[in-house]
Amino acid sequence: MEICVLVKQVPSTDKVQIDEETGTMIRSELESELNPLDMYAVEEAVRIKENTPQTKITVVTMGPSSAEYALKEAISMGCDEGVLLTDRKFAGADTLATAYTLTQYLKDKQYDIIFAGERATDGETGQVGPSVGTQLDIPILTYVNKIINITNDTITVQRAVEGGNEIIQTQLPALITVVKEINEPRLPNLENKLKAKKSIIKIVSNQELKIEEEKLGLKGSPTRVVKVFYPKISRNGEKVVVKTPQEALEKITSFLKEKGVIS
Amino acid sequence: MIEYRKVTTTTVEKLRKILKNDALLIYDDTESLKSYSNDESGGEYYANMPEVVVKPETKEQISQIIKLANNEMIPITPRGAGSGLAGADIPIFGGIVISLERMNKIIEIDSENLVAVVEPGVVTNDLCRIVSEKGLYYAGYPMSVETSFIGGNVATNAGGSKVIKYGNTAHHILGLEMVMPDGEIVEYGGKRRKDSSGYNLLQLFIGSEGTLGIFTKIYVNLIPQPGKVVDLLVPFESVEKAISNVAPLMVETKSLPSGIEFIDKKSIYYASKYTGMKLPYQDEVESYLIVQYEATSLQEIEELYEKGGKALQKNGAKDVFIADNRSNSEKIWRMRRNWLESLKAVDPYVPTGDVVVPTSKIPEMMKYINEVSNEFKIDIPVAGHAADGNLHPAPLKPKNLPPNEWKTLSEEILGKIAMKAAQMGGAISGEHGVGFIKKELLKKTKPKQYKWMQEVKEAFDPNNIMNPGKLF
Amino acid sequence: MNQEYKGVWTIAEVNDGKIETVSYELLSWGKDLATKLNVELSSVVISNKAENLDSLIQHGADNVYYVEDEKLEHFYPDVHTNILKKMVEDFKPEIILASATTKGRTLMPALAAKLNTGLTADCTDFEIEEKTRSLIQIRPAIGGNVMAKIKTITKPQMATVRPKSKLPLAKDENRKGKITKIKYDEELYQSKYRWIEFKKDKTSVQPLQQADVIVAGGKGLKKSENFKYLQNLSKKLKGAVGATRAVVDMGWIDYSHQVGLSGKTVSPKLYIAIGISGAVQHLAGMSSSKYIIAINKDPEAPIFKVSDLGIVCDALDILPLLEKEIKSGDKND
Repeated sequence: MEICVLVKQVPSTDKVQIDEETGTMIRSELESELNPLDMYAVEEAVRIKENTPQTKITVVTMGPSSAEYALKEAISMGCDEGVLLTDRKFAGADTLATAYTLTQYLKDKQYDIIFAGERATDGETGQVGPSVGTQLDIPILTYVNKIINITNDTITVQRAVEGGNEIIQTQLPALITVVKEINEPRLPNLENKLKAKKSIIKIVSNQELKIEEEKLGLKGSPTRVVKVFYPKISRNGEKVVVKTPQEALEKITSFLKEKGVIS
Repeated sequence: MIEYRKVTTTTVEKLRKILKNDALLIYDDTESLKSYSNDESGGEYYANMPEVVVKPETKEQISQIIKLANNEMIPITPRGAGSGLAGADIPIFGGIVISLERMNKIIEIDSENLVAVVEPGVVTNDLCRIVSEKGLYYAGYPMSVETSFIGGNVATNAGGSKVIKYGNTAHHILGLEMVMPDGEIVEYGGKRRKDSSGYNLLQLFIGSEGTLGIFTKIYVNLIPQPGKVVDLLVPFESVEKAISNVAPLMVETKSLPSGIEFIDKKSIYYASKYTGMKLPYQDEVESYLIVQYEATSLQEIEELYEKGGKALQKNGAKDVFIADNRSNSEKIWRMRRNWLESLKAVDPYVPTGDVVVPTSKIPEMMKYINEVSNEFKIDIPVAGHAADGNLHPAPLKPKNLPPNEWKTLSEEILGKIAMKAAQMGGAISGEHGVGFIKKELLKKTKPKQYKWMQEVKEAFDPNNIMNPGKLF
Repeated sequence: MNQEYKGVWTIAEVNDGKIETVSYELLSWGKDLATKLNVELSSVVISNKAENLDSLIQHGADNVYYVEDEKLEHFYPDVHTNILKKMVEDFKPEIILASATTKGRTLMPALAAKLNTGLTADCTDFEIEEKTRSLIQIRPAIGGNVMAKIKTITKPQMATVRPKSKLPLAKDENRKGKITKIKYDEELYQSKYRWIEFKKDKTSVQPLQQADVIVAGGKGLKKSENFKYLQNLSKKLKGAVGATRAVVDMGWIDYSHQVGLSGKTVSPKLYIAIGISGAVQHLAGMSSSKYIIAINKDPEAPIFKVSDLGIVCDALDILPLLEKEIKSGDKND
């Protein structure tokens, strides 16, 4: 079986500084890491490999050259090889342009399953996975929390949707985005870590992909960030140190009545 | 024995006048007073009610309160976050509890001199976070950073997981402003890094557990942030194998980890139940080490974990897992950090031992703890800071045993273990302090030193107003 | 060149024939935009059955396009995408809004890819740029640390909208509109998916993101058993149970209840945070709730910075009382 995992490198901090003038992230001082939600996709792929002989996992990302570390992290968890799509021309891509570039790389490969995380912890759009699947014209299974069965040409999964779980089957190849509850990603051990360190990441630039420039990066992105601003989150609420549970109950009840939550 | 007087309504009126704000005083309100009656040392077993609680906001208020207490012969118990494990902040004679919760300002972060000046009620975790935003690092890292105050860390000379590389709290304190037992306000040390003018009284107050005065300002040493951190999770088939790796790891790799933590199978069992997570090889191994390295560059950190990991593998580690990002680090540390909480889920008042031995003696110490566990037929999970020989045995109460019997029994068990540690060239407390729970052990294991400690105490506090019943 | 694109569309969600509340919320946003642009507002329903389509009109729609076929019983991304692609090509709306539910967040990226247009995820607010009549899409980014204003330079302009970010308009029984039933060729309904079954989640009365009230718990609950108080309380308030990452990681409650950066983002009318200190990651997922009540024993807990009512006390002291004493808001009970 041939498996591909799409990953992203994200800043490894919650404290992201924004240049309010230009609306861009101040990346200079930022450490980056493999998107935590992508680890579940990697783990699921590795588990399939462990149960299915002759499975090969390729992990693919689009990003700056430093994104190599995210790929190596995935390799240390058990992926076989890493591919980095990197080119100055790719920079500034929104979800559609990113998905387009990834698709152009993936379209002539023969993957049975393409995995992706539910979303990245920085952009939080969750759009690239489904967009890639659609552009490749293969079925998309989003919010998967359990893989029930895989045959030669079908896959049956459980999806976490509003109010419960849906079980659905589709044909392979398919693109699958997984949620956190699907598994517990493994810790890489020293041996795999060293192997990953030595692994050679395949670098693919636009010289190879030959995508017309109007479809790449900022030029190929139909959405534009017009402005970025800091929201005001603090409220001037009331804070009471209560002496008895009864007092707390009274406070809460009268608040709920005032706001019309209870009668 | 000094006769203390009770807090009267007149005393309370005087206190109100000093504080000028009724919100800073608790009196006549049993529910509220109760939360100042104990700490994390053993819950209800050791609790005692204060007569009045004050929450001063300035050193002048503290000074006046202490003068008042001297005049009226009322005992004072200083209190930080209440996360102590030896009962040092329990008001065993009632009297006045001075809670430092309102003295919680970070006064200054001096990036030029690499010093932070803070009030005692600052949560150590907040200090760490705020200085890290400036690329700086407070290396004193007690494991309870999420709750404990820096003042309490200084009062107990807290340790934590990074002592092997950075030293305990005493190594990070450059100066203290204190209200002395007679109410006088005095500064010891400051932003200077050297001082050979006279006795080093500064070090005397670190670890004095509130018996020699109250800190009102703390000068904390900062260092540049290491930037890169890697954690190694290392399972071992036996406790001996794990422990026997600690010293050689440092010798063979010629590099100091920032920490080597130890956790045994029983602890893993409870922590796993509590956190709902599983570590690799959990059912097959007897113990784990968590080795942490810090460095400034990626290359340096990679070299460190490769060298360290290989040494551990060569010396019998079942495997070596590497975490060099936040998600994986969190996985490795979650069980260790939730250790005490997971035991409290089984036994809410679990007492925690705090013995320290020379690092080479840890295997012997572990063996002894095991013997005691068998002798008393009591489950004793152990976790600790292996790199500095500091172990925390935590005997769990058998379900059917009545609490009062358990108090006596658990004190006997921990007493035995502590005495053994002292005999091995260790001490009865590594980082939690003596409080009042371990004062008998202190007297037994350091009889001559104890006498001199008493002399010091009397010289500073002849009325025995400051935190009486602790240490002595 | 995009002149021919006109009108605002919202994608209604239908579950077993019943129109979901999020559909009305979308109409409320849509009405705003359609009024500013002086265009018609249409709601698209794709289903095998649908009750009371008039209610969409009564809540603000000028048109309802109802694509009905027995094959549309379940949500198959390929079929729904193909239908919508065809409709957009035929009717050319300038704006399409869908709810940021699992359905919306699956369908919309697929549709945007097919139409080769832009899509903005999980918006919480919209504006119309007067000069250009462009849709300004406002969404939180980077864990709610910042807000971004985003514009789409292609047509249609597409966005998913965070549930509960706007109240539905009051129902107007006299409002008139047009319901158009649409049938497409069989081949459009051919799917690569096969539906098997749906397993209902029993712990919550309703899905987290659609709940008006969320009662959420953190480590202050001390142990997993104490979530039973939250479950009972949330049932009485017709709400759902939320949780922090810490307690989900500890296995106290399922991941489906997790609120925050690596969980769900919610904006209920009322969020009750019990024993939650309020790590930035958690706040990112709930700080846009209309009202927030926080119960925590640490007076300095960051959760109090975002709360309208903060109660400083141990959650476990008051939970039993709260669970017992709070009465249901439903007068018919």
